[in-house]
Amino acid sequence: MNRLIRCVLGLAMIAMTLSAHANTPSDQLIIALKMSNILSLDPAAATGNDIAFVNANLYDTLIELDPEDPTHIQPAIASEWEIADDGMAITFTLRDDIRFHSGNALTAQDVVWSFERVLDLNLALATTWKALGFTQDNVSELLSVAGDYQVEIAFPRQLDPKLVLYTLATSPSAFILDRDLVLEHERDGDLGNQWLTTNAAGSGAFELDLWIPQDRIIMKSNDRYWGQVPQIQRVVMRNLKESQTMRLMIERGDIDVAIGMSVPDIRSLEDSDGVEIQTTQRGTLYYVATSMKNEILANEQVRRAIRGTINYEGINNSIMPYYGIFHQRPVKLGLPATLPEPDYALTTEQARELLAEAGYEDGFNTTIRALNESPFINVAINLQSSLERIGINAEILSGTGNQVYGAMRDRSFDIIVGRGGGGFAPHPDSNLRPLLLNPDNSDAARLTNFQGWRTGYQNRRINELITQAVSEADDEVQTALYEEVQSIYEEDIGALFPFSQMINTVAVREEVEGYLDDPAAMTRLRSVTKRLE
Amino acid sequence: MTRSRYLSVVRKVGVILITLLGLLTMTFVIGRLMPIDPVLAVVGPDADSSTYEQVFREMGLDRPIWVQYQYYLQDMLSGDFGRAILTGYPVVSDILRVLPATIELASVAILFGVGLGVPLGVYAATHRGRLGDHLTRLITLFGYSTPVFWVGMVGLIIFYAWLNWAGAAGRIGFAFDGMFTQYTGFYLIDTLLSGNWEAFVSAVRHIALPALILGLNSVSFIGRMTRSFMLEQLSQEYIKTARVKGLSERSVIWKHAFKNILVQLLTIVALAYGGLLEGAVLIETVFAWPGFGQYLTDSLLMGDMNAVMASVLFIGLVFVFLNLLSDALYKLFDPRTR
Amino acid sequence: MKNIQTLKNAPFPARERHAPGQSKGALFFKALKKLCKNPLSASGVVIVGLLLVLTIAAPMIATHDPLTQDLSRVLSAPSWAHWFGTDEYGRDIFSRVVYGSRVTLYIIFLVTIIVGPIGLMIGTMSGYFGGWVDSTFMRITDIFISFPSLVLALAFVAALGPGLEHAVIAIALTAWPPVARLARAETLTFRNADYVVAAQLQGASSFRILFHYISVMCLPSLIVRLTMNMATVILTAAALGFLGLGAQPPLPEWGAMISTGRSYMLESWWLVAFPGAAIMLVSLAFNLLGDGLRDLLDPRTD
Repeated sequence: MNRLIRCVLGLAMIAMTLSAHANTPSDQLIIALKMSNILSLDPAAATGNDIAFVNANLYDTLIELDPEDPTHIQPAIASEWEIADDGMAITFTLRDDIRFHSGNALTAQDVVWSFERVLDLNLALATTWKALGFTQDNVSELLSVAGDYQVEIAFPRQLDPKLVLYTLATSPSAFILDRDLVLEHERDGDLGNQWLTTNAAGSGAFELDLWIPQDRIIMKSNDRYWGQVPQIQRVVMRNLKESQTMRLMIERGDIDVAIGMSVPDIRSLEDSDGVEIQTTQRGTLYYVATSMKNEILANEQVRRAIRGTINYEGINNSIMPYYGIFHQRPVKLGLPATLPEPDYALTTEQARELLAEAGYEDGFNTTIRALNESPFINVAINLQSSLERIGINAEILSGTGNQVYGAMRDRSFDIIVGRGGGGFAPHPDSNLRPLLLNPDNSDAARLTNFQGWRTGYQNRRINELITQAVSEADDEVQTALYEEVQSIYEEDIGALFPFSQMINTVAVREEVEGYLDDPAAMTRLRSVTKRLE
Repeated sequence: MTRSRYLSVVRKVGVILITLLGLLTMTFVIGRLMPIDPVLAVVGPDADSSTYEQVFREMGLDRPIWVQYQYYLQDMLSGDFGRAILTGYPVVSDILRVLPATIELASVAILFGVGLGVPLGVYAATHRGRLGDHLTRLITLFGYSTPVFWVGMVGLIIFYAWLNWAGAAGRIGFAFDGMFTQYTGFYLIDTLLSGNWEAFVSAVRHIALPALILGLNSVSFIGRMTRSFMLEQLSQEYIKTARVKGLSERSVIWKHAFKNILVQLLTIVALAYGGLLEGAVLIETVFAWPGFGQYLTDSLLMGDMNAVMASVLFIGLVFVFLNLLSDALYKLFDPRTR
Repeated sequence: MKNIQTLKNAPFPARERHAPGQSKGALFFKALKKLCKNPLSASGVVIVGLLLVLTIAAPMIATHDPLTQDLSRVLSAPSWAHWFGTDEYGRDIFSRVVYGSRVTLYIIFLVTIIVGPIGLMIGTMSGYFGGWVDSTFMRITDIFISFPSLVLALAFVAALGPGLEHAVIAIALTAWPPVARLARAETLTFRNADYVVAAQLQGASSFRILFHYISVMCLPSLIVRLTMNMATVILTAAALGFLGLGAQPPLPEWGAMISTGRSYMLESWWLVAFPGAAIMLVSLAFNLLGDGLRDLLDPRTD
C-alpha cells in the first residue's frame, strides 16, 4: 500500500514539474469554436455562420461590406461596378492581378461559372438566388462575360440594385471559385461538390492547409494575396464544444479567440484582464413561433394571449445578454424602415382574460420545441413557466437543430423557440422574406424555406407588399411599403413573435489586434496582428 | 484435426457469422428508426423543397424499406459504409482517423488499470478479512459507482483550473497542432520520434487526467478479479507446501500464486479494454478528446445515419473480437485446456 | 459471450437451496440480519432505505418546490435558506435533488419490471425447451451482449428520441440479456428435478410447468441479480441525462442537472457537486448491497 501511495505522489510530482507554460506563438492565431455545424466547405452547400467565417478567409467575393458600417460597399475582386440606367443590370470590372491559390488567374469566366454552379447544383444556398428570381434555366442568360475582366449581371425582374449588391457581398454562396481546379476534381457531373466538401479552391488571404472534420482547420497565409498579405502565418481553428474549457483556455492564453461561449463564462471574462469581449449585432431574430395548423393556436385571441405571456423584459435581461438584445419587430434594428418597438410586455392577467374570451378559461395542453442549448432551452423553460400561470400546460421537447426545425418544416409543431430570418444583408427584405412571406399556404406547396409557410401564417397584402418593395428603387416609397408590412403584421397578430435580435459575442485575447467581428459573419482575419509580450 | 474438432470450429464460425448478421440488422433498424431527418442534416434548415427532394432521392430514401435493407447489406459486405454527413469523408476513413486517439487513451488507461488494480487485488487477497481488504472493497466499489463524466468535470477544475497540472482539452496544446510528423497517430510516440520534447510534454499533460479517470473503472474491475483469482490460488495445496518449505511470503505470493493467475488476468484485461471503449464515449465528451467516442456521439446527435451504423457495427465487432481473443488466450495458455 | 456487465458481479454459481418448510418472510429477515453483520453491506442497506424514505416523503423533506423559478435569487451559494444553493433559474437544489430521487427510483423500477419478466421468460424457455428455441434465443442474446450497453442505449435513445420513457426502454433493452442468461442457467439445473418430472408425468402443459415451477424457483437468484444491476442502471440513466438524451427539463433528473449545471460549474460548484454526489452515493449503496448479497449467497468467497 505504501508503495502505491509513493507511486501516486511521484506521478503528481512529475505532473507539477510539467506545468511550465507559454502563450501561443505570435505568428499563429488560435481560434476555438464549435464545429458541429461545419459540414461542408462547398460554398454552394455550406449553411451557417461558422462556414461563412471559414470561407470568408479562403475565398474572395466580388464586393465586401465594411464591417464598421455595413451599408457601405467596398471593392474586392471587383474594383468597380456600374448600375445600368434602367436599373436592370450591374456591370462589374474585376482586378486583373488576382491569382487563385493554385496559381490560376482569376477571370470573368470563373465568376460567371461560380454563380451558375450554385444554381445548377441546387443545394442549400441556391435558395438565396432563387428568391431574387434567378433560376437554373435563366442564369446562363442573365450572367455574361463582357470581357476577360468584366462581368454583367442582368436582373430577371425589376429589383432594387442595392439588394443584389448586398447579397453579392454577404451571401456565403457568393464566393468565387477556381473553375479549372474544381473541374479537375469533378466526379459524375457533381461540379466538384464532393471534392469541395473537404477542400477549397479560392483566392483568399489564407490557404487551406489541413482540415480534419469536427476537429480542426489549419490555414496558412497566402503570400500572393492581392490585398494586404496577412501577418499571421498560421490560423488554427479547433473544435471545442465546452464553453467552460474555452474560458479556462483563453484566460490562460492557450487560445486567442473563443467563439460561442455561454453567458456565465463570458460574464466572468468581462472582468478578466487579458481578454476583451466583442459584441456585434447580427440580423437574425430570436422568436417564439406558433403553428396556425394547430386549431387552438390559430385562434387570434389565443395568440394575443401568448404574445402577452412572453416575459420579454425578464428574458432579455436575464437570459439574452450576449445572445441578443430586446427587439420585437420582424425587421432588424437600425434600418430606416424599422418601426419603433411595439412594447409588448408580460401581462398575465390580461392574457388569462383573453384566453377565457377565446373559450379556454381552463387552459390547454401543448408543446414547446427548442434546441437543447442556450439560450433556446432557457427561454423555453421560462416560457413554459409563464404559460403555466395562465393555465397552459406546455411540455418541452428539446432536441438537435434537426429535430426542432425538422418538425417546423413538417408543420408538425405547436410552439417553437427558435432563431431565423436571415438578415445578412442590411435590407428589410432579408428579414421579411424568410419570416413573413408565404406565397402558397397549401401543405403540398412545401415552401419549407419560408418560416411564413412553416407557421401557416398567410396574409395576401403582406405578400404583395414584400414583392412590390423589392422592385421599388425609390428609397422613401420602399420604406413606406415595409412600414406598412410591419403594422399589418402587428394588427394581425402573426404567428411568430420576435423577442430579441441576435448579437454575436466573441472573446479575444488582448494581444490580438485588428480582429473585427463581421455583422454578416464574414469575419476576415487578414488584418489581424498579434502584439509581442 | 479430428472430425469432432473440425465440426466444432465450423459451428463456432457459424455462430459468429449469425451474430454478425444480427449486428448488421440491428444497426440497420436503429438507423431507420431515427426520427432525425438525414436530408435536413445535409441541406440545412433554410433549403427549399426542390433541393430537399433532390437530396432525398440521392440518398436512396425513396426506395421501399426492404430494398434499402438489401442495398445496405450489399454495401456493408462489400465494405462500402458510405460517407458521413458530418465530415464528408467515407465513414471507414473517418473511423480509422479517430481511432488512434481512442486507442492511445484506452491504452494509457489500461496501464493505470493494471498498474493500480493488480497490486490492490493482490494486497486485498493477502490481507483477507482485515481492514485493508475492506478498504480495497470500498475503493473498488467506488470505482464502479462514480459517474465518470462527473469525475472528469471535477478533475478538470482541480487539475487544470486550480493546479494547472493537466492540459484542458484535446490531445495536445493547440499550438503544437501539425508541428510534428504523424508516424503512428499516437501522439506520445509521434512527438518523441519527431524529437519535439515540448510537444511530448504537452501530450503527456493532456492524456494523463482523462486516462486516469477512464481507468478508474478498470482499476476496480481488475482489482476485484485479481483478488478473487488470488484467493483461489492461495487456498491451493501447493501454496501450503511452499510455505511449509519455508519460502518467504513475498516469493510465495509473487513467484507461485501470482504466476498462476497471469493467464486469467490476461483474459480479464482484454475484456476490461472493451469496457474502456464504452467509457471513452463520456470521457471524450468532457475532455474534447477527438476520438471514436466523440465521433459516435456527434454522429448520433447529428442523425448521421451512415456514421452511426458503421460506428455501432464497428464497436460490436471489436467486442466480438475481444471476446474471441480472450477465449483464445485462455485456451492457448491454460495448461488444463492445452 | 461475456462483457464486463455480465462478469462484474460474477461468479454466481449454484448454491444451497433453502429448506422448503421455512417461510419466506423469516428467511428475508434472516438474510437481512446476516447482511447487516458486514458494516459495508449494512451501510448499503441503510442508504437504499434512506433513498426509499426520500422518495416516498419527498414533499415533506424538500424545503421548496423543485420547479418554481425565482429569477431574483439565481445561483446563490448554499445557505440556511437553500441548503444546497440555487440553480440558474433560482430553483432550490436541495429540493431538486430530493425530488430527483423519485426520477431515479422510477427509472430503476420501470427497468426492473420490464427486464425481469422478459429475461425470465426468454431464459426459462431457452433452458427448458433446449434445441432450436435455445439456439435462437441465445443467438439474439449474444447479439445484444456484443454491444457495450451504453453505446446500445445511446443508439436506441437517438433512434426513439430523447425522453425519460425512451431512456427507460433503451436501458431495458440493454439490461435483459444477462438476466436471461442467468434464468437459463438456473432452469438447466431444475429441468430434471424430481418435482418437474413428476408434474410432466401428471400431464401438466409445458407452459404450466414453466410458470408454476421453474419460474418460481428462478426468482430468488433473479431478484438478487436485478438488485445488483440497479447501480449500472443509475449510471447509464445519468449518462443519458448528461448527454441530453434522458429526462427532459424541467424534470430534476440528477444526470441532467449536472449537464445543465456544467455551464456554471466554475463559479457555482454546488450546481454539479450535489447531484453528482447523489448519483455516486446511491449507486455505491446498490453496489454495496449487491456485493453483500453475493457474498451471502455465494459460498465460494466465504
